Amino acid sequence: MTPIVRIEHIEKTYELDDAVKFTALSDVSLTLHKGEFSALIGPSGSGKSTLMHIIGLLDKPTKGKIFINEKDISNFSDNEISTLRNEFVGFVFQQFNLINKLTVIENIILPTVYARKDLAYDPVKKAHEIMEKFGIAEKAKSYPNRISGGQQQRVAIARSLIMSPSLILADEPTGNLDTKTGNEIMKLLKELNEKENITVLIVTHEHDVAEKTKRKIHIVDGKIVKD
Amino acid sequence: MEYIIFTLKSALFDFSRNKGRTFLTSLGILIGVLAVVLLTAAGLGLRKYIQQQFELLGSNLITVLPGNIEEGFTSGGPAFGRINFSEEDFQKLKRIRLIKTVVPLYSRSFTVSSANDSKYSEVYASTADIFVAFNQKAEYGKLFTDRDVDKRSKTVVIGPKLGEKLFGSAKKALGQAVKIENQSFKVVGVTESKGGGLTSQDLDNAVYMPYKTAYVFNTSKIMMAFYVQARNEADIPEMKRIVEKTMLENFEEDEFSIVEQKDLISTISSIFSIVNTVLVAIAAISLLVGGIGIMNIMYVTVTERIKEIGIRRALGARKFDILSQFLVESIILSLFGGLAGLLLAYIIVFFVQPLFPAYIDTFSVVLALGVSSGIGIIFGVFPAKKAADLSPIDAIRYE
Repeated sequence: MTPIVRIEHIEKTYELDDAVKFTALSDVSLTLHKGEFSALIGPSGSGKSTLMHIIGLLDKPTKGKIFINEKDISNFSDNEISTLRNEFVGFVFQQFNLINKLTVIENIILPTVYARKDLAYDPVKKAHEIMEKFGIAEKAKSYPNRISGGQQQRVAIARSLIMSPSLILADEPTGNLDTKTGNEIMKLLKELNEKENITVLIVTHEHDVAEKTKRKIHIVDGKIVKD
Repeated sequence: MEYIIFTLKSALFDFSRNKGRTFLTSLGILIGVLAVVLLTAAGLGLRKYIQQQFELLGSNLITVLPGNIEEGFTSGGPAFGRINFSEEDFQKLKRIRLIKTVVPLYSRSFTVSSANDSKYSEVYASTADIFVAFNQKAEYGKLFTDRDVDKRSKTVVIGPKLGEKLFGSAKKALGQAVKIENQSFKVVGVTESKGGGLTSQDLDNAVYMPYKTAYVFNTSKIMMAFYVQARNEADIPEMKRIVEKTMLENFEEDEFSIVEQKDLISTISSIFSIVNTVLVAIAAISLLVGGIGIMNIMYVTVTERIKEIGIRRALGARKFDILSQFLVESIILSLFGGLAGLLLAYIIVFFVQPLFPAYIDTFSVVLALGVSSGIGIIFGVFPAKKAADLSPIDAIRYE
């Protein structure tokens, strides 16, 4: 199996007041492979979100190395990291994090606006295809705060797919949804993994959600305890 | 292209959601641009007005004035110089061959009255050539002649506005008598109106009188200035030299001045330019204050939209993308204010123009818009930089 993300001996500490240090992650090593469908499970405060942010290049570790497609990115510039976030990762958040002043379709194609490479497809056409598949086609011109939570999360997933990423990171994607809608979203993510061979990592504290994945990574107090 | 549309849409959305705030922010720039453009327009208008005043006096003209013009106007103005000219000087100048005409001038304000009404007017006492120099023609009746001057005939030519004021209409004034200092004068002619504008209002209210007739008021028989006209422009330098030599026979070098029309225009223009520059500089301070207002609002906007910035960064926006987004917003904001100020200035100038020849030139339009977008950049760059430098994860977590 091809590794797409490999992190080695990651440590993340935060400086609190009076020079007290808080260790969110200590000596974490992990490899995600192409086509994996995994869950990162842990109670709140375990460091799972911090780990996801580091894997997703939203945050920088205090120590340790990150390899994307076997390439060390320690010395990457902010612009290069931004490009990786744009092309390599797609994020799905618990809070959806859509931009309310842009329509659904504009939210979906927003990552392509920041693309620095020529896209082999028409973003608007592709967005319509995804919306069609996700059953939100008629909401294209709606604004995010005018549609249901389930629909918003579908929009967020559609947005994460528009740049055809290798990895989707979903942070508590069902956390704000009822069980039925949550299950539908999980089904959608699973389909993406199976049909399009996209690596999916779901961060959750719910064992029900984790049960639906193939690989379960347990994290407690900033350390991986079971993989 | 999409990038630009997204940036603009994002900006316009925020503006339309905060209409009141957007308006107040732009108001600072609006007032600044309005003040600068209006003052520039007034300055240009004033310069044009002065030029028009002098152009009335025909071309190829030099003016001989008492007093030293080099000492400036502070000494009370050339008309109140230490010396006065006399008939003798007039006759001497007339003998110079290069000169086409010499127009002597004695002027003073009097209350001019008819049986019905009266008005405080300027009386110009001269030869018949004053009508050539002042470019005046008779609308009704005739102009007085050099014979009237020699005969000291008690006749006057008046401006049409004065005629209207004293006799009900310019035409009715013809043949009537006006009283000046208890002396009665017959109105033999009414000049053509110079039409609208401040420029001609004075001449439309003027009284012209043979200079020898005016000796009844001008008991010391002085002359206040000579307008000397050359036969052609090329003769002016030589004529000026001879006039100077002639005047030096009776006066010291610093007792009189010889001014070429174009020198006078440029001297006065340069004085007004300095005054105007100072005024515009003061007005520019309000532009600065407006700019600070924009900076303040942009800081607030950045704080309000930290989460949005975080989302955009998570989706791959570079620091530069965020920076340009906020810069575009502050430029739009100040450019909007600038355009509105310019529009308002145009409207005001449009309504003022019948009274005063103020006008807005291309340079001040370019300057106003350039400066207001410049303000957008300068005062927008700090808030925009702050937005761009936020850590993506801190921004996205911000509530």
